Amino acid sequence: MATTPRSGGAGSGTAQRPNGTSQNKSCQFKLVLLGESAVGKSSLVLRFVKGQFHEYQESTIGAAFLTQTICIEDTVVKFEIWDTAGQERYHSLAPMYYRGAQAAIVVYDIQNQDSFQRAKTWVKELHKQASPNIVIALAGNKADLSNIRVVEFDEAKQYAEENGLLFMETSAKTGMNVNDIFLAIAKKLPKNDGANNQGGSIRPNGNETNRPTNNCCK
Amino acid sequence: MATAARPPSLRLGQQDLKCRRGCGYYGTPQNDGLCSKCFRDRNDKQRKMLKAGDMQPIIGGSSHGPASFSAGGTLERRSPQHFLVRDTPKKQVDKEPDTTSMLQKKKFTAVLQKTLQAGAQKIAQQRGYVPDPTESQFVKQLQKLRIPDDGKRKLKSEIQRLDNEIRKYMNSHSSKNIDELSDTVQNTYTKVADIVHNDPRFEIATNEDRESAIDFFEKVVMTQNHKFLFSPYFTTDEESDMMVQKRIRQLSWITSKHLDCSIDEVNAEARDLVYNAISELEKLQCTVRCCRHIFELLKRATGGPASADDFLPALIFVVLKANPVRLHSNINFVTRFTNASRVMSGEGGYYFTNLCSAIAFIENLNGESLGISKEEFDALMQPDAGLQSFSSPWESALMACESLHLISENMKQMEKLQRKNADISSGIASFEKELIEFQREVTERVDTVMAKAPLTLLPIKTPAFLIGQARSQLLQEMHEGEAGHYQANVLSGSQSLTVHSGMVKTAVAAEESGLALKDTSISSIGRLSPLPNLQQPDNLFASPIFNYAAFDAVSLLEEPSSGGCADVLMLGAELQGGLTNINYDFDLSDQSGENSTAEESKLNLDEFDPLAQPQPQPCGAPAAVEPETSLLNTTTDSLIDSDVPGTCVSLPSPLKPEVANYRGFSNFEIPSISCNTGDFSSLGHDVETTEKPK
Repeated sequence: MATTPRSGGAGSGTAQRPNGTSQNKSCQFKLVLLGESAVGKSSLVLRFVKGQFHEYQESTIGAAFLTQTICIEDTVVKFEIWDTAGQERYHSLAPMYYRGAQAAIVVYDIQNQDSFQRAKTWVKELHKQASPNIVIALAGNKADLSNIRVVEFDEAKQYAEENGLLFMETSAKTGMNVNDIFLAIAKKLPKNDGANNQGGSIRPNGNETNRPTNNCCK
Repeated sequence: MATAARPPSLRLGQQDLKCRRGCGYYGTPQNDGLCSKCFRDRNDKQRKMLKAGDMQPIIGGSSHGPASFSAGGTLERRSPQHFLVRDTPKKQVDKEPDTTSMLQKKKFTAVLQKTLQAGAQKIAQQRGYVPDPTESQFVKQLQKLRIPDDGKRKLKSEIQRLDNEIRKYMNSHSSKNIDELSDTVQNTYTKVADIVHNDPRFEIATNEDRESAIDFFEKVVMTQNHKFLFSPYFTTDEESDMMVQKRIRQLSWITSKHLDCSIDEVNAEARDLVYNAISELEKLQCTVRCCRHIFELLKRATGGPASADDFLPALIFVVLKANPVRLHSNINFVTRFTNASRVMSGEGGYYFTNLCSAIAFIENLNGESLGISKEEFDALMQPDAGLQSFSSPWESALMACESLHLISENMKQMEKLQRKNADISSGIASFEKELIEFQREVTERVDTVMAKAPLTLLPIKTPAFLIGQARSQLLQEMHEGEAGHYQANVLSGSQSLTVHSGMVKTAVAAEESGLALKDTSISSIGRLSPLPNLQQPDNLFASPIFNYAAFDAVSLLEEPSSGGCADVLMLGAELQGGLTNINYDFDLSDQSGENSTAEESKLNLDEFDPLAQPQPQPCGAPAAVEPETSLLNTTTDSLIDSDVPGTCVSLPSPLKPEVANYRGFSNFEIPSISCNTGDFSSLGHDVETTEKPK
C-alpha cells in the first residue's frame, strides 16, 4: 500500500516540470506538523520527502522545512511542510506556524498516551484558531511498534471521526501509510476553486487570514 | 470607463494630451508633458524624475493601436480612493474638446509633446541611469524578465504608482498609521498578483515567470522606499528594539540547557558553527543563511537531519547570544511590507516565522518556560546575577559574543568616521598644496613681471670735476681741520694758503693712509666751524661724504679715543651703531642722487641689501673688520705679533690701541677667546687689555 502512491508520485513528479505550465492545475499548500516532541514528526516528513525525490536531498540538512510535490489526477500539488517544535514550552508559539496553513498533520506516538492527549489539544486549538477550512489529519506514528501500543487504533479512529479528521496509523520507519496520509490530504484539499488556486492558492487566503494576526510578534 | 468608451481617434489625441504620468490630468508641453502636480513632484525628487523619464515614453507609446487599451486598463485598476479624486476633474476636461479647432490644437500639441518626450527620453538615457546604479540594475532585471513587453509596461506603471502612493502618504501631514500604509502596500501586492495571474497580457508567461514578476515588483518598490518604510518615525519600533535588546541582555545567563537544545558544546566545529550562526544573524537578511548554519550545527549534534524540535531552541539560543540590533524594526518592516504570502510560505517564510517565534519566546520568557522555578528565574534576572554564573569558557565566550558584536558595529562606525576624517585631511592637504601652488604662481608671476621691468639702481654719477673738487676740498678741510685744532680761527681768512698747505698735506696723508684718514675724521669736527667759501661744496656732499668718511674712519677715528680712555666693548657697540647708521644714511643719500664716487656707492649697495634687516649686527662685525684689515694691515700683523708680548710693547704708540681695540671687538667672537685661552702669554695680554678699560 505504501508503494503504490510512491510509484505514482514518482511518475507524476518527473512529469511535473514540463506539465506545470498551463494545462495541469498546480496548487501549493502549506502543511504544518504538530505534535509532542519525539513522536516522529520529522521522521514522517523525511520519509515522505526523501523516499521519493532524491533531488531534495541537499535541503534535508534540516527537516524543519521541506517541500514535496505530488500529482493527483491532473493536479500538481506542492506541499510546503513546516515542522514545529513540540516541546511544551514552545507551545504558545504554534499559532505563528499554522497561521495561513491549509493543512495540518497532528502526530502522536501510539506508545505514548500523553502524546495522544497533546494531539487532542492541538486539534482543539486548530479548530478554534486556525483558518476554518483547514484540513487536519491525525497520524498515530510508530505503527511498526504496534505490539507495545498504548493508544488503541479504534479509540483514535473514533476521535478522528468525531472531529472530522483524516486518520491513519503510520510508520516513518517502514514507510507505512506515510505517502497515503499526504495523498489523502491532497485529495481533501480544495483544488476546485480554480483561478484562485492557480499558481499559488496560498496568496489570497494567506493574505486574508494573516492580516489580523500579523502583529503577534510585537 | 469613460476613456474606453470614446472613439479611437479622439482617444489617441486625448491620451497624448494627458499627463504622461497617467494621473488623469492634462499635461502641458511646458511641463514636459506632465500636469502641474506631477511636474512639481518630479522636480522635487530628482531620482524619481529619472525613473519617470524612463516611464514616460512607455506610457506614451502604449497609447498607439492595440496598446492603448493598457492605458485605459491602468486607469481602471487604480485604487478606489485614488480614482475618485482624479475622476471629477477629468470628466470636466472631457467635455471640452468638441470643437474642431480645439481638436486641431490638441493634435498639434500632441505632436509637440511627442517631440518633447523623445527629447526627454534621450536626456534620460544620456544622464539618467548613471548616478543611480540600483535603478539601472532594476531596469536590466526588468528587461530580463520573461514576460511579454506589455506586461513589463504594466508592471512598471504599477511600480510607479505604488511608489508614488507611498511617498504621498509619507509626505502628507495628516496623522500617519503604519498599518494603513501596510494595508495599502499589501493590497497592491494582491492586486499585482491578480494582474499577473489573470491579465491577458501575462497569458503566455509561465508560472515561474509570473512569480518572478511579482517578486520583482516587490523588490523594486521596497528597495526604493526602504528608507521611508523601515522603522518610520511615527512608530514605536525603535523603542521595542531597545526593549528587546535590554531583555536579551538580561537573559544572558541562559544556557543551551535551559532551552532544551542539544548543542554539542565540546565540539570545536559545532562551536564555530554557533559563532557563524550568531554572526550571520547580525543581518536579518541573512536569516536563512543563519538557519542553515544552525541546521548544519544540529545535524552534527544529533547525527541526522534536525527537526523543529531542535531547531527552534537553537535559534532562540543564537538570537539570545547574538542580540541583533534593530530586531523589531526589521521584523516589523518585513511583516508590514513584504508580500504577505512570502512571509507565510517558502523556506524564507518558515525561517522568518521561526525567528518571530524566537523573539516572541524571548519576550514572554519566564521560569516555567526554561524549566526552572520562578524564584530561580527571578534571582537570575537580577542585573548582576548573570556575571557570576559562568562556569565554563564556552559560556563566557558566548557572553562575549554580544559585546564583540557591539564592538564590530562600533568599529564599522569608527571606520566610517575615519574615512571621513581621512577625506577631510586629504582635502586640507590638497588645499594647502593649492595654496602653496598659488603662492608660487603669484611669486613667479611677480618675478616675471619684475624681470620684464626691473628696478635698476644705477650708480649715481657724479661729474669727475666735482669729485676732484670734493676730494681736494676734503683734503683741504682736513688740513684746515688739523690746523683748526690749533689755529683754525686764525687761518680761516686765507683760503689759498690753506689749499696749498692742503696739497702738501695730501701727499703726506697718502703716505700714511691710516693717519690721513684719521685726520679726515678729525676734520669733520673741524668742519663744524664753517668756512664761507667752502660752504657750497661742503653742503653738497655734506651727509654722504661726511658719513662715508666717518664710516671708513669711524674705526680709525675711535682708535685714538679708545687708546685714550674709551671702553672696549662700548667701542664695538658704537662701531656697529655707527655702521648701520652710516649705511642707512649713505644709501638714502645715494638714491636721492647725491654725489658720491661710483666704486664707493657700489660697495655700499652690496652691503646694504643683505644687511638691511636680517643681519645688521653679525655682518657689521666683518664689515667693520674688513676696513680694518684692509686699511690697517699692520694692526692684524700686530695681533699675530701680540702672541709675543714683547712686540706689543715695541709697537709704535698709535698702533697699540688698535690691538686693544681689535681684541675688544673680537671678544664677541669665540675663536679669539679660544686663541686666548690656548696661550698663556696672550691670556696675560688679554688681562692686560681688559684691565685697561677699568
